[in-house]
Amino acid sequence: MKLVPVIVAIALVVFFLSSFSYPRLMTLPYDSAGRSLNSPYTEHEPQVAGDYLVFISDRNGSQDVYLYDLVSRKLLDLPGLNSVDSVASHPRVSVDGRYLVFAASHGGDVDIYRYDRQVRRLQNLTASLDAEVRNPTISGDGNKIAFESNANGQWDIVLYDRSDF
Amino acid sequence: MRLITLPTLTKEAIGRFGHRVWGWLVIGFSLLLVVAISNFSCFAVRAEPIALAAISLNSVGLINPQGLNSTYTDEHPVLSGSGRFLAFISGRDGRRRLMLYDLQLEQLVDLPWLNRRDAIAEHPSISNNARYIVYVASDSGRPEVELYDRVTQLVQVLTGAYRGWFRNPSISPDGRYIAFESGREGQWDIQMIDRGSNIELDILDQRS
Repeated sequence: MKLVPVIVAIALVVFFLSSFSYPRLMTLPYDSAGRSLNSPYTEHEPQVAGDYLVFISDRNGSQDVYLYDLVSRKLLDLPGLNSVDSVASHPRVSVDGRYLVFAASHGGDVDIYRYDRQVRRLQNLTASLDAEVRNPTISGDGNKIAFESNANGQWDIVLYDRSDF
Repeated sequence: MRLITLPTLTKEAIGRFGHRVWGWLVIGFSLLLVVAISNFSCFAVRAEPIALAAISLNSVGLINPQGLNSTYTDEHPVLSGSGRFLAFISGRDGRRRLMLYDLQLEQLVDLPWLNRRDAIAEHPSISNNARYIVYVASDSGRPEVELYDRVTQLVQVLTGAYRGWFRNPSISPDGRYIAFESGREGQWDIQMIDRGSNIELDILDQRS
């Protein structure tokens, strides 16, 4: 039957073309009520580390940090991290999802905060630093944190390791 | 009625026009080859290498590896998954460049073919051992998210086919996923690119 070689040929072509389908844009979950990753409101500054995706959203009326578990596909609770009167920005998470760093403003002062999800503790890392700070980053294991500081009249990089916090 | 097939047509054409057909065929084919090669080579963007000038030694950083900070802007630090590498944007030496610092060896790492004389890179993000570096670059008509592979020293434009604006890219530690903000739905939303399971993942070395 002449149909068999045609089908085989089509199958080979499809198989060959599908190997060109990467890199591909993924379809990420969306919920209009804001209970998932994307929402009708803004989502900013995503960072993907391991199984976790951390980002900023203002879906609940305040610019807050959100943590999404890509494996179980749900938002994780961050008790004590966000507050209604503070604006959070530039969140980063360690690979195990335990430590989050971000910049947040309280009463007009912007500081770098570290949040430990296991003990639910929020720590201000730059309370005694007399300068503007921004753009924190954390290493995969959570042992090093770097951020920018303008204490010397221009933006410089400051590196903290375990002994500093 | 004659069966018209391609061999028949070719024979007929050769019969009428002789060897000129072959000549044109060869020229046409080689032109096609040249066009195809030039199209695919756009995936490997090569720029002139920027020689690493002498590192400013009057570093006045608060915490001090020499060479990390300069008397010019050093901003947007990102730490690798291993904690060994720190990538950042620096304005030293009269050029705004994406630089990579090795915290263990306390020296800058060369990034050949990444920085271009006529373009600016912003917002870097690196994988576990800094093998893959994503950033936003201005070398085409609009800011594009690009991926630099430190092993092959090739730059790949990731968002060339996408509509809308992109910003703030972030690469997963193994280098497979890249998340970024996209404005094509009329709102800033998160999009993610999957590079596929066939890429060489940047795995953390468990021994160190």
